[in-house]
Amino acid sequence: MFNLSVAVRFLREGRGQTALILFGITMGIAVQVFLNSLIVGLQFSLVDQTVGKSPHITASMPDLVPEPSYVSPDGLTTLSRIVTNEGSVKPIRDWPPIADQIAKLGVFKVINPVARGSGFILQGEKALPVVLQGFDPEKADRLYDIRRRMTAGRYEVGGNKVLIGRNLAAKLRIGIGSPLRITVPRGTVDQFTVEGLFDLQNQPVNETWVILSLSRAQILFGLDQGLTELELQVADPFAAEKWAADLRAVFPALKWLSWQETNAQLLGALQAQGSSSYIIQLFVLLSVTLGIASVLAVSVVQKSRQIGILKALGALTRNVSRIFVIQGAILGFTGSLLGSLAGWGLVRVFQAVSAGSTSFPIPVGFGAIALSVVIATVSGTLAAFLPARRAARLNPIEVIRNG
Amino acid sequence: MADFLSLRNLRKVYGKTAQTVALRGVNLSIGEGEYAAIIGRSGSGKSTLLNIIGTLDRPTSGTMLFEGRDLFTEDDDALACFRNRTLGFVFQFHYLLPEFNALENVLLPYRIFHGRLVPDVVARAKRLIERVGVGPHMLNRANDLSGGEQQRIAIARSLINQPRLILADEPTGNLDHESSEEVKSLLREINKESKTTFLIVTHDRHIAAGCDRIIEIDDGQVKNDFNASEFGEDEKWQKLAPSTCREKIRLA
Repeated sequence: MFNLSVAVRFLREGRGQTALILFGITMGIAVQVFLNSLIVGLQFSLVDQTVGKSPHITASMPDLVPEPSYVSPDGLTTLSRIVTNEGSVKPIRDWPPIADQIAKLGVFKVINPVARGSGFILQGEKALPVVLQGFDPEKADRLYDIRRRMTAGRYEVGGNKVLIGRNLAAKLRIGIGSPLRITVPRGTVDQFTVEGLFDLQNQPVNETWVILSLSRAQILFGLDQGLTELELQVADPFAAEKWAADLRAVFPALKWLSWQETNAQLLGALQAQGSSSYIIQLFVLLSVTLGIASVLAVSVVQKSRQIGILKALGALTRNVSRIFVIQGAILGFTGSLLGSLAGWGLVRVFQAVSAGSTSFPIPVGFGAIALSVVIATVSGTLAAFLPARRAARLNPIEVIRNG
Repeated sequence: MADFLSLRNLRKVYGKTAQTVALRGVNLSIGEGEYAAIIGRSGSGKSTLLNIIGTLDRPTSGTMLFEGRDLFTEDDDALACFRNRTLGFVFQFHYLLPEFNALENVLLPYRIFHGRLVPDVVARAKRLIERVGVGPHMLNRANDLSGGEQQRIAIARSLINQPRLILADEPTGNLDHESSEEVKSLLREINKESKTTFLIVTHDRHIAAGCDRIIEIDDGQVKNDFNASEFGEDEKWQKLAPSTCREKIRLA
């Protein structure tokens, strides 16, 4: 109690000095909060762009590995033959009970059954490779947001109706109502009608996707009632890896892949961005801490007379050092609180100034701010330890003798 | 019963290579309620002695017993508590904290020990400030008081924890004549009112002459120790002259 009031008096008395260091801490923490919010916002927007309108977890049948045809007596050498039939992927049969069971978990926003395969559009002498997407139109729309992004025609895929990308239509010089001859690796050739054009803001998608109904695709690829993939979307994209692992345990017969596993490069980039931001924040914190330490070191010299008097009057050594430790904590706490406020202001200003050019939101997390305040307060306290020790060692006689 | 304060063969040597002997075996016994002056030339060791009695410094050898308690066997924290609760200090310079007002300064020793204030103590502090005559300026910052007021506030501060022994080091050394007289009589009055023991280190022979007992330190030893009331005015003033001067008088 007493230590606190002396600490506050010392800070208040050295007004200019206190204001200066508080300003320094405020600036430092403001930069830290601003930078942190910006990086978090950027990461969220990048992740959203990457996986916002695509599946987070994909289930498929694993490639078949036949039994070894020869095993040496010591069991070390095996000979085997791996047979892969391009285009004739083993389908997921009996998928409705699996989809039901997954739906009951309640954590997946979308469960999208897909019959997907490659094919060629035949136009005169040319054969253009495409990806045939057998979709349930309602479910696929919730995942890929297609209906809203139709540029012509209707969002309808019943019977032999198909939707194609804007770029593909341009390449083929065809439009709504045009016939489309498609062949698949099995050899089947079927005739379809273009019902609509879409623009999913992705060049390869717009150039290769041909969307048809799920049942039509199942027939085309000879899948019976089976699927090639089951696509899932979760509310929190970053939880996808964990859910994929859980699903792997429950349905071991299927191959479950999360977006993190298929986008390792993006994740690596995000991590690098995150760690470089942490390094900057670390240095900001370090300079804040050193600032507090040097101001308190000066303060110990300035207040040596007062410290001597307090000790002569019976103040214990540990109480004298506490006076300075408390000052460090107060500076760290107040400065980081002001800094968080300033950082939040910076974010607002940044968003207002760049309203047109930056389309991503910058969240200022309360948790991140609280963490900044706690860390700065702890650093301030730690910064005070050296000066506090010097204060504690001061000999009152020195002060009294020298006046 | 043990003596109030007893010093036995106190020695203090400063420095390791070039040694300066400040005290060469001081033996003294102070009774409770005494009003004693310690006089001596500068460099005689009287301030060193007062610092040791005030437990601000430790002797090189020798013991100091306070009511039988062997103080220098105890650690620094114990001595700090002893200073806080048993001693009152009045220095040549007032040594008030400029960050606090007069009342807060008077309350400092209490807060150092107890932390929180209680109304009784605040009332006592106010009474003490009235008693030393600074009542109207009780809430002034320490630096907004005159020199005499500052020293009187320092006296009030030395009294707040109701100490048994007050140590004063040149309490009037920095004051003009009028303030000096006021402070001098204030100390004497407090001694009479509260029976608090006083040890006053002074150059000022007027102050020394007003004390009951006069202890002269020279070259780190007690040179002279007498009861002022046993002598007539002339003799007393003669005895107050520094020992070296007295020898010259005798020679003349």
